[in-house]
Amino acid sequence: MTMTLATRVEDLPFLDVKDPAFSIRSPEVADAREQSWCARTPYGIAVLRYDEVQKLMRDPRLRQGSYAWPAMNDATGKFADWWSRMLLSQEGSDHARLRRLANPAFSPKLVTSLQPAFAVLANELIDTFAKKDSCEFMADFAEPYATRVICTLLGLPHEVWRELADIAADMGLALGVTFKQDIPRIDAATQKLFDYAANLIADRRARDLGTDFLSLLIKTNQEDQQALSDQEMVDMVVLAIFGGIDTTRNQLGLAIDMFLQHPAQWALLAAQPELGRAAVEEVMRVRPTITWVTREAVTDFSYEGIDIAKGTTLHLFSQAACSDPRAFPDAGFDITAERKPHFGFGGGAHHCLGHFIARGDMTEALAILARRLKNMRLGGEPKWLPDSGNTGAISLPIAFDPEV
Amino acid sequence: MRMCVDMKKCQYHGQCVIAAPDLFSFAEDGSLKWVETIDDSLRQQAEDAADVCPEQAITLEG
Ligand code: HEM
Ligand code: HEM
Ligand code: SF4
Repeated sequence: MTMTLATRVEDLPFLDVKDPAFSIRSPEVADAREQSWCARTPYGIAVLRYDEVQKLMRDPRLRQGSYAWPAMNDATGKFADWWSRMLLSQEGSDHARLRRLANPAFSPKLVTSLQPAFAVLANELIDTFAKKDSCEFMADFAEPYATRVICTLLGLPHEVWRELADIAADMGLALGVTFKQDIPRIDAATQKLFDYAANLIADRRARDLGTDFLSLLIKTNQEDQQALSDQEMVDMVVLAIFGGIDTTRNQLGLAIDMFLQHPAQWALLAAQPELGRAAVEEVMRVRPTITWVTREAVTDFSYEGIDIAKGTTLHLFSQAACSDPRAFPDAGFDITAERKPHFGFGGGAHHCLGHFIARGDMTEALAILARRLKNMRLGGEPKWLPDSGNTGAISLPIAFDPEV
Repeated sequence: MRMCVDMKKCQYHGQCVIAAPDLFSFAEDGSLKWVETIDDSLRQQAEDAADVCPEQAITLEG
C-alpha cells in the first residue's frame, strides 16, 4: 500500500504577492520552492516548480484566469466589456473559433516576410543615438520599436506610432492599481482605440486586399459574417495593439538588463548574430516580462496532495519555474546552452498568439543592437516596475562606445 | 500525405487540436492522438496545424 501524504494548505509557505515590494526573484521564493511545489498567496495558490507549472499551464481542469480582472476591481464600462469579449477571456468552442480565425494573420510565414522590415527599423532607431555615447533604452529604442513593429504589422504609417503608444498606455492603466479612479480616462481611451481600429479597417477595405494582417481579417469577415463578425474583427485589431506593444517593450528592456550583467554574452552575440534567437529564449527563461500567468479551477480536484476547490486562482510562476534547479541544474545565463522550453509566452490553449512576431522582432533587434552597441554598460539609475506580475523597466539609461 | 509529430518537442499546448479538430485530439489520459495519413480533403487543416504549433513539432511529407 502506498501512503499519500496529504498536505494541509495552511502548512504551505506564504508569499505576499500583493506587496509592491514582493520580488519574484527573491530568496524567499527560492526557499518556498525548496519547501514545496506550491505556496499560499492572498489570491490563492502560487505554483513554483517547473514540472508542475508545465502540467498545470495546459490542464483542462483550469481556465485562463485574467477574465475576472475587471470584475475583481468592480469595474464596468467599455473597457470591461471589451475585456470580457476578447480572446484571452474566452474558453472552449468560442475561444477555439476566434483563435482559428486569428491564426492565419499571425502565421510564421507572415513573420518571415516581415523580418527585413524589422531589421531596417532597428537600424534606423539605432542611427538616432549610435554616434553619441549613451541613450535611454526604453524611450529611444524599446518603445518606438515595439510600437512601430505593430504599425508594420497593421500597415500603418509610422508617423502615428506616438499616438498609438499613448492610447495603449492609457488603456494599460486599466491593469494598474488605479483602475477604479481612472475608469473615465480608460473608457475614453478604449473608445478612441476602437474608433481608430474601425478607421483602419475601413481604410484597408477601400484598397485592394493583399496578404497582410488586415486583409486576412477582412477577407474572412467578407466571406462569412458568422465566422468573424464586424465587432470581432475590431476586437482583434485592438488586441494586436493592446497585447503586443507593452509586452515587447518590456521584454526588450529586460533583455538589455540581462546583457548589462553579462557583458561577455553581449560580445558573443555581437560576434555570432545567429545566436539572436537563442538569446531571446534564454532571456525569457530567466527574466520574462510576464512573470506569472493565472489559471482558475473550473472544478474541484486534488493535485500532488493539495485539494484545489473550484474557483481557486492559481498563479503559475513562470519565472520561478524556469530557474528551478530541478529542471535547470546549470542555471547560469548562457545563450549557447541547450534548455528546456520556458513559459514566457504562457502555454496550452492560450499560448501567446503573437509569439512568432515577438520572437522574430526581438531576435532581429538583439542581434543588431549587440553588433552596434559595443562595450554596453549601465549609464545611470534605471527605474523599475514592481518585480512581479508584468514587469520591466520604466527607464533604462545605457552607455556604449560611440560609432565612428 | 503523411504527418509526423516530434514528441520530443511537443509541449501539449493543443493548438493543433484547435486548428485541426478532425486530425488531432487529446485522449482521456491526456496523450495526443493524430491521424498519420492525411486525405487530400484535409490537407489544409494539416497545414494549418503545422503552421500554428508553437513548438513547430509537426512535419508534413508528400
Ligand atoms: C515579448 C512579447 C510578448 C510576451 C512576453 C507575450 C506573452 C503572452 C502571454 C504570457 C500570454 C498568455 C498565455 C497564457 O495564459 O498561457 C499571451 C497571450 C496573448 N498574446 Fe502575447 N506576448 C507577447 C507579444 C504579443 C504580440 C506581439 C501579440 C500580438 C500582436 C500578442 C498577442 C497575444 C494574444 C492575442 C494573446 C491571447 C491568446 C489567447 O488567449 O488565445 N502577444 N501573451
Ligand atoms: C490583449 C492584450 C493583452 C493580453 C493578451 C495580455 C496578457 C496578459 C497576461 C497573460 C497576463 C498574466 C496574468 C494572468 O494570466 O492573469 C497579464 C497581466 C497583466 N497585464 Fe496584460 N495583456 C494584454 C494587454 C495589456 C496591456 C496593454 C497592459 C498595460 C499596458 C497590460 C498590463 C498587464 C499587467 C499590469 C498585468 C499584471 C496584472 C497582475 O499581475 O495583477 N496588459 N496580461
Ligand atoms: S500544437 Fe504542437 S506542441 Fe501543441 S500539442 Fe500540438 S503538436 Fe504538441
